[in-house]
Amino acid sequence: MGLDRRAFIKFIVGGAAGTLFTPIPWKLADDSSIWSQNWSWIPRLKSGAVTADATYSKLCSAGCAVKVKKVGGLAFGVKGNADNALSQGGVCPLCANGAQMLRSPARVAGPMKKDGSAFKAISWDEAEALLADKLKGLKGQSGKVAAISGDGSGTANEVLSGFLAGLGSSAYYYMPSDQTTMAKAWNGIMGGSGQIGYDLEGADLVLCIGADIMDAFGPTVRNQKAIAAKRPIEGDKTVTLLYAGPVRTRTAAVADTWVPVSPDGGAAFALGLANLLIKSGKGASLGGFGEFAELAAKFGPDAVEKAAGVKTEALMTVAKALLMAKNPVVVVGSGSGQGGGVALAAAGVALNALLGSLTVLPEFPKAVSHAPDRSGLLAKDVVAWLADVDAGKAPTPEVLFVYEANPAYALPQAAAMAKTLDKAGLLVSFSTYMDETAALADLILPAPHPFERLDDAQSPYGLGKATYLLATAVAAPEKDCKSTPDFILGLAGKLGVDLGFGAFEDVLKAKVQAIGADWDALAAGGAFVSDRKGSAQADLGASALAKAAAAPKAQGTLLAALDHLNIGTGALATPPHALLTVRDTELYGKDLFVQMCAATAKSLGVSEGAKVKLTAGGSEITARVALNEGVMTGVVAAPLGLGRTAWDPFTKGKGDNVSKILAVSAEPGTGYSVWAGSAVSVAKM
Amino acid sequence: MHAKEFKIRWGMVIDVDKCTGCGACMVACQVENNIAPVTPEVDAWAGVAYDASNKLRTLNWLTVYEINNKKAFPEYEVAYMPRPCMQCASPACVPVCPVVATDKNEEGGIVSQIYPRCIGCRYCMAACPYHARYFNWFDPTWPAGMAKALSPSTSTRPRGVVEKCNFCHTRFQQAKDKARQEGGDPNSLADGAYNTACAEVCPSGAILFGDLNNPAHKVHALAHSKHSFRLLERLGLGPQVYYYSKREWVHRLGDNYLPNEKKA
Amino acid sequence: MEEKKGTKCCGGFLAFVLGFLLSVVAGWVLFPGMLYSELDQPIPFSHKIHVEDQGLTCDSCHFFREDGSYQGLPTNEQCSGCHSEVVGQTQAEAKYVQEYVQKNKEVPWLNYQYQPDNVLFSHKAHEPFECTECHPDVAKADKAPKYYENKLSGYSKQTMKMWQCERCHAENGVSNACHVCHK
Repeated sequence: MGLDRRAFIKFIVGGAAGTLFTPIPWKLADDSSIWSQNWSWIPRLKSGAVTADATYSKLCSAGCAVKVKKVGGLAFGVKGNADNALSQGGVCPLCANGAQMLRSPARVAGPMKKDGSAFKAISWDEAEALLADKLKGLKGQSGKVAAISGDGSGTANEVLSGFLAGLGSSAYYYMPSDQTTMAKAWNGIMGGSGQIGYDLEGADLVLCIGADIMDAFGPTVRNQKAIAAKRPIEGDKTVTLLYAGPVRTRTAAVADTWVPVSPDGGAAFALGLANLLIKSGKGASLGGFGEFAELAAKFGPDAVEKAAGVKTEALMTVAKALLMAKNPVVVVGSGSGQGGGVALAAAGVALNALLGSLTVLPEFPKAVSHAPDRSGLLAKDVVAWLADVDAGKAPTPEVLFVYEANPAYALPQAAAMAKTLDKAGLLVSFSTYMDETAALADLILPAPHPFERLDDAQSPYGLGKATYLLATAVAAPEKDCKSTPDFILGLAGKLGVDLGFGAFEDVLKAKVQAIGADWDALAAGGAFVSDRKGSAQADLGASALAKAAAAPKAQGTLLAALDHLNIGTGALATPPHALLTVRDTELYGKDLFVQMCAATAKSLGVSEGAKVKLTAGGSEITARVALNEGVMTGVVAAPLGLGRTAWDPFTKGKGDNVSKILAVSAEPGTGYSVWAGSAVSVAKM
Repeated sequence: MHAKEFKIRWGMVIDVDKCTGCGACMVACQVENNIAPVTPEVDAWAGVAYDASNKLRTLNWLTVYEINNKKAFPEYEVAYMPRPCMQCASPACVPVCPVVATDKNEEGGIVSQIYPRCIGCRYCMAACPYHARYFNWFDPTWPAGMAKALSPSTSTRPRGVVEKCNFCHTRFQQAKDKARQEGGDPNSLADGAYNTACAEVCPSGAILFGDLNNPAHKVHALAHSKHSFRLLERLGLGPQVYYYSKREWVHRLGDNYLPNEKKA
Repeated sequence: MEEKKGTKCCGGFLAFVLGFLLSVVAGWVLFPGMLYSELDQPIPFSHKIHVEDQGLTCDSCHFFREDGSYQGLPTNEQCSGCHSEVVGQTQAEAKYVQEYVQKNKEVPWLNYQYQPDNVLFSHKAHEPFECTECHPDVAKADKAPKYYENKLSGYSKQTMKMWQCERCHAENGVSNACHVCHK
């Protein structure tokens, strides 16, 4: 019997029927479906013990007390530290993304040297030798070695500024912020000592003049917690919140009243209030009070309406509220968190003094004794210095250190500032990320991510009590970075500059001991809070104030640049998971949106979505119009933090950099650089 | 669909008068649930940006809406409203799913969304009036190195699958395990033992989470407050997320009341 | 020629039966061998030495953590409590200490019950059961069981399927809601 075709077919059919009685088809179908659910390019989760290690995150300017969540030892997320007196468990949108920023594609992998137009990797030893060589020849030449720091609260500044002092240079500057503006007023013009504080926790009325306390001013998490604690969801409110500014900011959104004040009218508004308070019998025990009262008298309701756009009725209501409150606190600042004038800052101090709520925090003792006093450095004008360097009035630095700052992007008139920075002989950036300044730099010596390093914060500006916080390394280093103060201490050793310490840990241990705090409690995430008060002795500086407050009103459309924390800071571009919190009325595709109300749009001849060009300070940006009735007439609001030219594909090339059109002028009477509330010309494209 | 009764009803009360729109909740949600950052590409065919600014393409399980009273300056008022999945009592999305990838059948009342079962037909997205469901148009891509440690709480999803807020359900399981470890009752968790990522991180404490049926939980009393309302209440879906505001215009906007319509 | 062959139906039927039987045999005997690859654990771990000789119990190495989660396969942190240096005589232990403990590398153990990421299994909820009700009793075994890896899906042969969990839940009156086991 041979196998003919029919038998063969029957054999095959038999085989097929047989497979139905085997696991083959069912198993293959099941396994194929599982195979299709497990594509190799979809990452798998890690397993292991989940732990949460406490530290202090300095990704945002003031910092948040956090617990870094780890699985099997790898950091994956962040939650708040409920036991910390500062943050009480809250986290800002930037620090909430801290674990992801550990592995950002914008991170600098290790020390780099500029070679032509590209960067070449070098070793830490080579970098140290290079700098030691360069700095040897510059010892004793003031202004030839300079530094710009964006960290307003860290002791690392003592190491860096002490190092500069040891080399004979006093050219140490801080990036402009509400903190430096207040230092110019309180420590500079008014001759006060210590740091101005705001006791929100004890207040029953908080008046914010320009200062967007919930979004852009000081320790935003603590500000939100302090106000929220006094406004329980069911129960009596024990604080009234008033916001006075040109835009209905996030603080204004939750405030009881929004008083529209033009961007350049804050000082006039504050002086107008001071006038009403003085007329009601309030006094202040600060020097030069008589002169100040005379100055305030010039700001009657009509003058205030002219200068600030505030109607008499609104002014009276606010003054009345201040007088009726038991513990009113006035917080002054700028919606952009920078560029405000001394006039508003001093008027704010005066108002708090008149209301009996002037809080001054004492400075913590220095660890590095050679380091210059912090308040003196905070009062220096970095914008004026760079303008002088550009004009040849000040020596061009041969070595310029940039620590925790991004001046090429974030300084006002940014494009011009970047050119000036480029003039520096050796621009050294300690940035963790490839930001705009690092991209310009000749040498990048990356500092570790805040979770990977030891750091600290002394009374972040805006607090009501002197507070000390410690950050410890809780994540394993991802890249070849070195703590900046440790690098500087090593460099100092090579150059014969004795700062008294060999390692940064010793500096901080000495600091903690001098303060009288407990290292272990701080390392576990606690905050050291002191009830000690600083000296409230100062002179109101009315003569300088008078000139500043009498500055002519800016003409035309005014720019209200807004600092939104979720978009990022100057030194930190939008973290990847914060990208979708940016509204499509601020950024869409590559287009930046500026906000204005319908009345302003009509007067400028533009409509919703129209493409416009904004020009000021010798620079221009392009944007589209978004109509927003929360912006005062005659004002254009624009978000800071966009228009990055470095970083990563997520943030690069999106929108435009509003810092370019922040036009700088010198404040009459004080000479300090100001740009808050500057004019801008808006033209339809 | 007939509303199922549960002994425990996980819900939220969100204080719209406290929310500053900072976005920390949105960031914490993405980190907890392994939502990949949106890859920057231009959808050349449609001519729109496929990046985080195109809100039709982003996966905002929790979206913070900006609402206003539609008045001109200076009477203009603005508020911020975080919107998670409402975990409705009679969800519109559950009966329309052809493969039962979504169901409301667990004690606690959280509407589940099971990714391996979902076939991506998006009927549920069409059904949900709150736009709380999102579709993975593309495979998720993390920037190089960022996928190194993902949150162990939520599985990653491939393209073609619908996802939505699940009240950080893994934290519920973890809270139950912790209760068992400590000798407590997993079916009677204390207020705060189980908390979602968004509520945990909120700097102003605007988001409150808890068991709506349990008088010992904060949200129980607050949900019954005269200042509390639910979005699109008149649709009758029975959302388990309440909003709290002392402002009348916020209440009226919450259910699209016409200017002259009397409020129910 | 048009003569009908008498043996046509028998010959055809035989071919059918032959094909049927061959495929059944192939499906039940040959197929599993083809589908699964046999793998060994990276370190030949002996439970017998640890349990009988050293007197350890299941929960000496497989225990519940403070937060109620389960430490399944121990990590170097647990093992190096005794094995930070070579303490025994076997080659396996020497290999473990040299290549893993001293190099600070975790052993890539093959997990017989490896579940996909979307499955959430809580050992704490199953604590009332004895370990051996679900896991084979390896306490007396000197060699670890063989690991069979499915070449197509990548999972182990022993990985429990959904119907097994569902059946036991149904039998014990425990909820079979989706979210109970999925994440």
